[in-house]
Amino acid sequence: MNPDNLQYHKEHTWVKLSGKKVTIGITDYAQDALGDILYIDLPEVDTDVEANSEIGEIESTKATSSIISPVSGRVIEANENLSESPEIINEDPYGKGWIAILEIDDASELDDLMDASEYTKYVEEEVK
Amino acid sequence: MKIAIIGSGPGGYVAAIKAAQLGAQVTIIEDSEVGGTCLNWGCIPTKALVASSELLAKTKELEVFGIELKGKIVPNFSKIIERKNKIVNTQVKGIRSLFKSWGITLKEGRGILISPEDVEVTLKDGSKEIVTADKIIIATGSRPFQIPAFPFDGKRIISSDDVFKLKEIPKSLLIIGAGVIGCEFACIFRELGSDVTIIEMLSRAVATEDIEISELLERELKKKKIKLYTNVKLETLVVRDDVVHAFLPNEKEIVAGKALISAGRAFNSNGIGVEKIGIQKGSRGEIIVNEKMETNVPGVYAIGDVIGGLLLAHVASKEGITAVKNIMGGDEKIDYSVVPAAIFTSPEIASVGLKEQQATEKGIKVRTGHFQFRALAKAHVIGEIEGMIKIVSDETSDRILGAHIIGPHASDLIHEAALAIRTGLTIKDITETMHTHPTLSEVLKEAAEDVYGEAIHAPKK
Repeated sequence: MNPDNLQYHKEHTWVKLSGKKVTIGITDYAQDALGDILYIDLPEVDTDVEANSEIGEIESTKATSSIISPVSGRVIEANENLSESPEIINEDPYGKGWIAILEIDDASELDDLMDASEYTKYVEEEVK
Repeated sequence: MKIAIIGSGPGGYVAAIKAAQLGAQVTIIEDSEVGGTCLNWGCIPTKALVASSELLAKTKELEVFGIELKGKIVPNFSKIIERKNKIVNTQVKGIRSLFKSWGITLKEGRGILISPEDVEVTLKDGSKEIVTADKIIIATGSRPFQIPAFPFDGKRIISSDDVFKLKEIPKSLLIIGAGVIGCEFACIFRELGSDVTIIEMLSRAVATEDIEISELLERELKKKKIKLYTNVKLETLVVRDDVVHAFLPNEKEIVAGKALISAGRAFNSNGIGVEKIGIQKGSRGEIIVNEKMETNVPGVYAIGDVIGGLLLAHVASKEGITAVKNIMGGDEKIDYSVVPAAIFTSPEIASVGLKEQQATEKGIKVRTGHFQFRALAKAHVIGEIEGMIKIVSDETSDRILGAHIIGPHASDLIHEAALAIRTGLTIKDITETMHTHPTLSEVLKEAAEDVYGEAIHAPKK
């Protein structure tokens, strides 16, 4: 299930707000659709990213896919554990499989995102 | 018809054989090794190294393939070089025996033009001999370009020729230039265990390729932990304490055991008498020729790297054949519109025809189709799923304009597209042609289908 304490972007990424920082990852639906993840191109620390733009790339046995940032901000940390063990994303997309932490300046961008129930509905629509 | 050819690389030796086949009396002059750069320091030796390094890379996956290894696998550079030498020697002998069988005279020495009909050859023993011919073909090739500020010392600061003289695998290797040669050696030495860093002045690796190909290669280099700095100009390169120190503009310093400079090629047009007989040269020292491979001096032709066009062995060969056919009374013009080319990085890169951007710049409305190797069963079977193909077609005529591949066996797969482009085939011609399953050749068919959003093995867009 998609956790209630997160917010979701239509490109299947999630954010978790804590103060001025957000943690970003991909959703359970995304990891399942990708299949076994083999490699992740992580965003570089100290780079500025725009909302709705690519912050990295994921390769799975089936596809390569862009990771779209749900918000704007500066990358302050990337989950280096994923470099060696990208399969963590498959195992725990909302926990240990987080991708990056961003410092944001405009928390209002989060208002445009979906909550868990909206996202669940959105995914159901997409599958149809 | 008497023809003298200076240089026996893939331009000169192919021209020699073709000329003999067409009935000419041929003398070929070589002051180094038969087969030229391609066979002795270029295409073939590097591919021998690629073969060893890729085999080593495969062994890292033995377990994945269900094979247990009880022991250790260790690359031995001198044995790798030994194998390379054996391959090269076999090929050199092959060319020599072809010369013999076609009655071609090989003069081993340095040839200098002394008139439009005469070449003075200084043989290995120092004696001189004049070769007189009706027509002369200059096929003297090119050599590694030396950046004046950072001259090769052959030990620490090395050229692509010097690589083959190395005694062992360098612990760390700095490569100046992320072009074809730089990227090939980066992959080879990284697989063999070197710590590899590349610096490139341009904004991307293999900048002559389609941008999507560069992007994918850069990601693959990153995966291999090859460090690539683009948009960076080398400021200083010094050898201190037996290691190379490279300084970049942002005061960053890179220290490496060896620095390989692969910053292009210089043309072998000096010291061969071209000035003396008034042959015109361009600003880079290249010999200027027309579409028939004729220089401005009647009866003297030039082919291959020395004319400064596409520095590719197969282009040199085609130019050689064009020159010979014209000498023998034909009226042939060289056509560079369909030149397949490959880069033996890992994964391989190959391309032919127009890039999307080139086509758009020409005002052609294009469609593109993409397909990933990882969506193909055969790629999973061989354990090489990285890569993709991009196909470019003319929106109006449906004709194929270009194909760009990065992935396993790209260099073999490109020729279906080359033939299709040269003969004006359409996307439909490709999609209607059955492709054997399971083979990597299916990527081209799927990419062609993708032009219309109908690739069978890709999700709905």
